[in-house]
Amino acid sequence: MMDRRSFLKVSAAGLGAFALDGAAALPALAKENRLAMFYDNAKCVGCKACQMACKQWNKLDPFSTDPEGIYESPEGLAPDVWTLIKLADYPLNERRSFLFIKVGCMHCGEPACAAVCPTKALLKLPNGLVRLDQNLCNGCGYCSQVCPFHIPQMRVLSQLSGEAKSTKCTFCQDRVALGLRPYCVQSCPAGALDWGDREAMLAKAKSRLEALKTDFPQVNLYGENELGGLGRLYLLLAPPEVYGLPQDPAFPPGVSLWQKVIQPVGQVAFGATALGIVAAFFVVRRKVHMEEVE
Amino acid sequence: MSVQLRGTDAGISIRWIPKYTTLERVLHWVHTAAFIPLSVTGFIIYASWLMPLAQGAAGESLRLIHRISAVFFGGVPIVYAILAPRRMLMNMKEFLTFSRYDLEWLKVAFPYYVLGRHKDMPPQPRFNTGERLTAVVMVVGTIVFGITGLPMWFLRGIMPDWLYQAMVIVHDLMFIVTFAMFVVHFYLAVVHPMMWQSLVSMRYGVVSESYAREHHTMWYYGDKRAKEMWEKHLKTTKEGAETSES
Repeated sequence: MMDRRSFLKVSAAGLGAFALDGAAALPALAKENRLAMFYDNAKCVGCKACQMACKQWNKLDPFSTDPEGIYESPEGLAPDVWTLIKLADYPLNERRSFLFIKVGCMHCGEPACAAVCPTKALLKLPNGLVRLDQNLCNGCGYCSQVCPFHIPQMRVLSQLSGEAKSTKCTFCQDRVALGLRPYCVQSCPAGALDWGDREAMLAKAKSRLEALKTDFPQVNLYGENELGGLGRLYLLLAPPEVYGLPQDPAFPPGVSLWQKVIQPVGQVAFGATALGIVAAFFVVRRKVHMEEVE
Repeated sequence: MSVQLRGTDAGISIRWIPKYTTLERVLHWVHTAAFIPLSVTGFIIYASWLMPLAQGAAGESLRLIHRISAVFFGGVPIVYAILAPRRMLMNMKEFLTFSRYDLEWLKVAFPYYVLGRHKDMPPQPRFNTGERLTAVVMVVGTIVFGITGLPMWFLRGIMPDWLYQAMVIVHDLMFIVTFAMFVVHFYLAVVHPMMWQSLVSMRYGVVSESYAREHHTMWYYGDKRAKEMWEKHLKTTKEGAETSES
């Protein structure tokens, strides 16, 4: 028989567990450890399951493309295409090879898009995701003009009125918040995609690098240190340029100038002008002799 | 044009001299009515501490207001050029004509406008140095805002990234210059106690004869006579200073 004291204890424990559980469902967003996606070029078979999964989970509309002579379909990222398998035709070990790569937002350690976003719709989260909140986006399109990888795509509803929304891979931020993996990772049948703690993904990438070194002398790891370390780590069998990736991606210098110098300097200039004018007004009001004014 | 005052001041007669045409005054106020919302909406997106106003639907409205105002802002010089091309050309020429008297004017401008010291002003044409500098900044500003703003509006994604970034930066810099200038212009035209005639002139298009005689001698007397008078005035004040010293 349960007395009143133990009943209260059990109830409190139950409530506590419920509260903890509620919190436990969300902590991925606040977690200090960076999360990352690992793409293994050697394992990818180019089946595009990830591409389909992305469309399915994010409810992105299909559209027709020109199917002639291209493996890459659609041809590039678009407002309804957040990830894409691209193909590189390259003589690997002196043998013509078709190399795949999965492109999409890199979730940079130092994202230029989030630096220029005037609404914080794009925001670097402590867990490494560059989140995109469509409700906050006002469609200015700055993000699409500063990304070193040309990732954000504007869904332009009207060029004239400027109505638009930015789009990009969010690493399935809604799933990750619930402790799930991005849907593309879940869908990969070849084991070419993995998801988890960035440190663990880096360790995995490095061990793969070691394993493949002898057979593929050009194998390299892309994303470890670029732009503050990318959230998307690539194990590539050929040099990055072969896949259309910049060899040494840089934070656009114009963005630093704009954000770190011009914006604060401008506000100081406005403040100084306003203060100067107010001061001038009080000086002239005391000194002026209106009887002399014509 | 003259005004006969009635009442206690009867007997004083003010002669008014036309300075701006009706079209110029209307366009001036359209320009103002476009510049203020342009500045406000631009500044909200520019200043990070106003971010809540730039987010989501509010931000979309700001961007729309910015574009609608921009059409009027850019439309003003176009309408002016179509309806009064000769007058516009004449003004532009006057805006861009500077002489050594402008340096002298700048020297006395600070004690005059800031400290309220009633000094004799060097001869000036219809627009004084300050007005001409303001006009040049506004003309340059309008052109620069146009050649950076229109591509940002219509050519995003078509022009290269570096060019877009450069245009944002130039647009911002131009805003800093023009807005600071606007604050000064507003102060001198509306707030400054000595400049009460500027609002009158932008409403009715006229300035008083005495104001024109004091501030725009080259306009009032003609270039040659105004310069002669100034040189003579300088000579007499110099002699006066010498005799008082001895």
